[in-house]
Parts: sequence; C-alpha cells; structure tokens
Amino acid sequence: HKITASSPDTDLPTVSGLRKMGVNFTVSNKDTVKSSDVLFLAVKPPIIPFILEEVGPDIEARHIVVSCAAGVTISSIEKKLSTFCPTPKVIRCMTNTPVIVREGATVYATGTHADVEDGKLLEQLMASVGFCTEVEEDLIDAVTGLSGSGPAYAFTALDALADGGVKMGLPRRLAVRLGAQALLGAAKMLLESEQHPGQLKDNVCSPGGATIHALHFLESGGFRSLLINAVEASCIRTRELQHLADQEKISPAAIKKTLLDKVKLESPSLSVAPASKVSLFTSKSKKN
Amino acid sequence: RGAWPRVAMEASELWVGFVGAGRMAGGLVRGLLQAGKVPASNVLASAPSDKNLDAWRELGCRTTHCNLEVVHRSTLVFLATKPHILPGVLEEIRPAVGSHHVVVSLVAGVTIQTLQRLLPPWTKVLRIMPNLPCVVQAGAMVFSRGSNAGDEEAALLKSLLSSCGLCEEVPESYIDIHTGLSGSGVAYVYLFAEALAEGAVKMGMPGALASRIAAQTLLGAAKMLLETGEHPAKLRGDVCTPGGTTIYALHQLEKGALRATVMDAVEAATNRACDMAKD
Repeated sequence: HKITASSPDTDLPTVSGLRKMGVNFTVSNKDTVKSSDVLFLAVKPPIIPFILEEVGPDIEARHIVVSCAAGVTISSIEKKLSTFCPTPKVIRCMTNTPVIVREGATVYATGTHADVEDGKLLEQLMASVGFCTEVEEDLIDAVTGLSGSGPAYAFTALDALADGGVKMGLPRRLAVRLGAQALLGAAKMLLESEQHPGQLKDNVCSPGGATIHALHFLESGGFRSLLINAVEASCIRTRELQHLADQEKISPAAIKKTLLDKVKLESPSLSVAPASKVSLFTSKSKKN
Repeated sequence: RGAWPRVAMEASELWVGFVGAGRMAGGLVRGLLQAGKVPASNVLASAPSDKNLDAWRELGCRTTHCNLEVVHRSTLVFLATKPHILPGVLEEIRPAVGSHHVVVSLVAGVTIQTLQRLLPPWTKVLRIMPNLPCVVQAGAMVFSRGSNAGDEEAALLKSLLSSCGLCEEVPESYIDIHTGLSGSGVAYVYLFAEALAEGAVKMGMPGALASRIAAQTLLGAAKMLLETGEHPAKLRGDVCTPGGTTIYALHQLEKGALRATVMDAVEAATNRACDMAKD
C-alpha cells in the first residue's frame, strides 16, 4: 500500500496484477510522484523525456528519481529536471526480468546530487529481488549486454537444449524442466564456489566420456565466441540507442499516437510537432 | 656376465645400453649424463653407422656397431630403433636377453604385447614415449610396464628419466594419447610460435626478435602454469583486464574456434598413433 503505480493505459494485464497485490493504481503520473519518495521511471526510453517534462514541476528535494530506461543517461535526466528543480537526485539502474522471481541482477549508478545513503537505499530495495551492486555509469551498457539481455540468451539455450532432449527421446515438458534445472544448478554451483568456471567444467568431464565429446561440438561451433559476440552486440546497440537519444533524433512516429495524446492531455505546456524531429529537451515548444 | 641376482639397482652401478643412437636416444642420454645419474663410461650405444655415434663418443660414452654387444654388456637396455627395424633387431638380440635385463622400448607404435612376443618370456619390458624436448631436459615422458616389470624397475626408470623432464607411469592405453598431446604436441607449439611471430612482424617488429619473444612468452606462460598449479582458465582471466587488449585478442581466437581445432589435432594424432600401432 506504500506503492503507487501509474499508467495512462488501464487495460494492461499488469495493472490488474498490481491492483491485486494492493498497489495504489492511478492514471495520473503526477499523483504517483506526489505520493512517492522513491520514484521509479519504468517507461520505454523514448517516453522518458515526455514523462520528465510532465512530472518535473512536482519533483521535490526529497525525491529520488530512479530511471531503469536502457540507454538514458543520468546527465540527460538531470539536465531535463534541472529546469524544475535545482538539485535533482537521480539514480540510473539496469536490472533484468528475473527480478520477478527475486533472482534479478541489478546495477546502479548515482547521479550528481544523489547521496551515498540514496544509493544504499536503492541497493537495499533491489537486493531484495536479487543481486544488486553499484557501478560506474559507463559500465551500464556492458551490464545491459551481459545480464540485461542475458536471460534471453539463457531462454534460447534452454529451448535448444530441450530440443536436444526431445530429439533423443525425452517428452518436451520433462526436457524443459531438466534443462532449466541443469542451468539453475550450474549457476548456483558457480556462485557458491570459489572455483573458476573452467575448473568446474573440467570437474564434469571424465576422460573420454560423454561430456567432453559434447563440449568438443560446442567448441567446434564457436559457442564461446557466439556468446561474446552477443554480449558485445547488445552493449553496442545500447550505446547506439543512447547516442540517438542524446542527439534528440527520436521521431514522434516512433511513439504510439494514443500514448502521446494521453501525455499531452496531462501537460498542456508540452507539444509535439508531428512532421518534424522533436527537440525533446527544450522547456517550451510552439504549438503547431 | 651371467644372470644377476634380483637386487635393488643403484643407478651409478648401472650399465646402460642403447640399441639405436638417434635423436631421441641422444636426448635421453644427455639428460642422464647432465643429471649425473650414470657415468658416461657406463653407457654403450650401437648404431649401424658412425654418423650418430660420433656425438656419443664426444660425450664420453662407448660405442659399437654390434647390438648383441650392447645387450651382453648392459643391464638396462634402451631400444631406440626406427619401428620397421625393430623386429629384426629383436630377433637378433633375443638369444642374449636374460632375466636380469630391463628392456625399455622408445620405439613409436610398438606395443608391449609385440615386444613381449618377440623377446623371451621372462623379459622385464617397459615401454616409454618421450618427446623431443627431452633433448633439453624439458621433456614429457610416459611409460608403462610389461608383465614382468615390477615396482623396482618402474621406480628406477622414473628416477633416471626425471632428469630429462616430466616422467610418469601410465596405463599403456594412454601412450597414444600422449603422442597426440605431447609427442606431436611440440609441433603444434612450434606452429603457434611461428604464427605469433608473424603477427608481430605484420605489426612492424623484426622477425628474429619476434621469434625470440614468442618463444619466451610460451616458456614463461608454461612455467607459470606448472609452478602455480592454477587452472589455465584462471590464469587466462588474470591477464584479461576489462575492455583491454587481451580480451579483444582472445575474442578473435574464439571466433576462429582455436580450442576445437586444437582438440581436433590431438584427436587426429592419437587416432593415427593407434592406427599405426595396428600395422
């Protein structure tokens, strides 16, 4: 009940889920801000500037603004909020979907005006849903590539492992269950062990046995380099997106019209020139 | 000399013979002599021509052209001929082999079973697979026992040959694997060293310097592996600073599936050793 969430779209399945948990739900972003001390911005990155414009006037000194938006820099948020509030406390974090099962991987970087205690508070919150640690902001893209996107790599691997099981005769459900448990168990072993993953791998490979034969196939397929490539690609793409956002090249066409209309309703001062590129960080723009 | 009683053999009292005096035998004897395990005057080597034997004489060893003489005058006899020569040699020396002899074969691809078949049934036979760096006392050798070779003989061999590098007893089935890993493995390392140096030359370093540095890099890395006992993956990680040069380079190696290719190489050499042994 100490949590408030807002969204213009009340039809989302997540909304009823939140309501059932006892979360206060509102369609007004401003209400959410007014009733919070720690404010999580959980909108898609292109929407962030609109949100900041909308709720900026209501941000006060007590607020800790936490952005989870990929590729959105602390400085861009601080710049936007500084037109409303002289010393906005901003923390940028990157988490991942397994927070749902309290096994998330979260990192955060504190902004100019966020104190150590503010960071610790966030860390405490996020540590309740998994691993959480502070990093330098310039590492967040790499974290996105690794643990942000990581679950997708794992799901892909699990799907394929299950296929392997099915090919060799296992029923699908059992194959999925066993594959997931194998990865879960391996990850747990690694986290609880002092040993290098290479050593743990060796421990499974009896000479001339099944596992080493299988690993040879993985190596032949360049398994390791594929994973390195994936982390690199995700990280680079995150940087690209951030770069695009910094250059204010987000076209309004990329944003759902219905969403934009709802945002405009809340914030009459904000307007968008539909045909041209939007300058997202000026405080006032002329209505067309 | 007639049959000797079965006594613990002091290395310094050993009479060591080499049937065949090629490069591998030469490497072993140099190791033995350098480590002071056996006086040169106690070593007798035979070969058909003087070509190889000159070097042995320079070391202070005795030489002959007669294989039988080596067997008569030695207790520890190393067989170091080429594989296709061996059966003929064994037939020749068979009458002179006694129960006091310890016969150690260096001959690639010739199994203990074959050796025992071609020698008297009481013969103490061992089979060893060395590798080239025995020549510089940094070899890797594995050996296996035949039916009549006991703990004493194994201990003697191990103690003598540790002077040439790493020497371990193994089941005979590992010998072909050792060939693939370390016998031929030395060539893989030379290939890698050459490629490293070429990379450096491409980037502007003179070849001779690049080659020496490449060799020293391999030597140093191997030394760290052996002395720290750490897992190679851990040592590799220790060198990789985040976003640094090493991890960039390693990514290239992984893209080229270097690991799988090396595994393929070891497998190919091992299989070939097995096939050749069957011939």
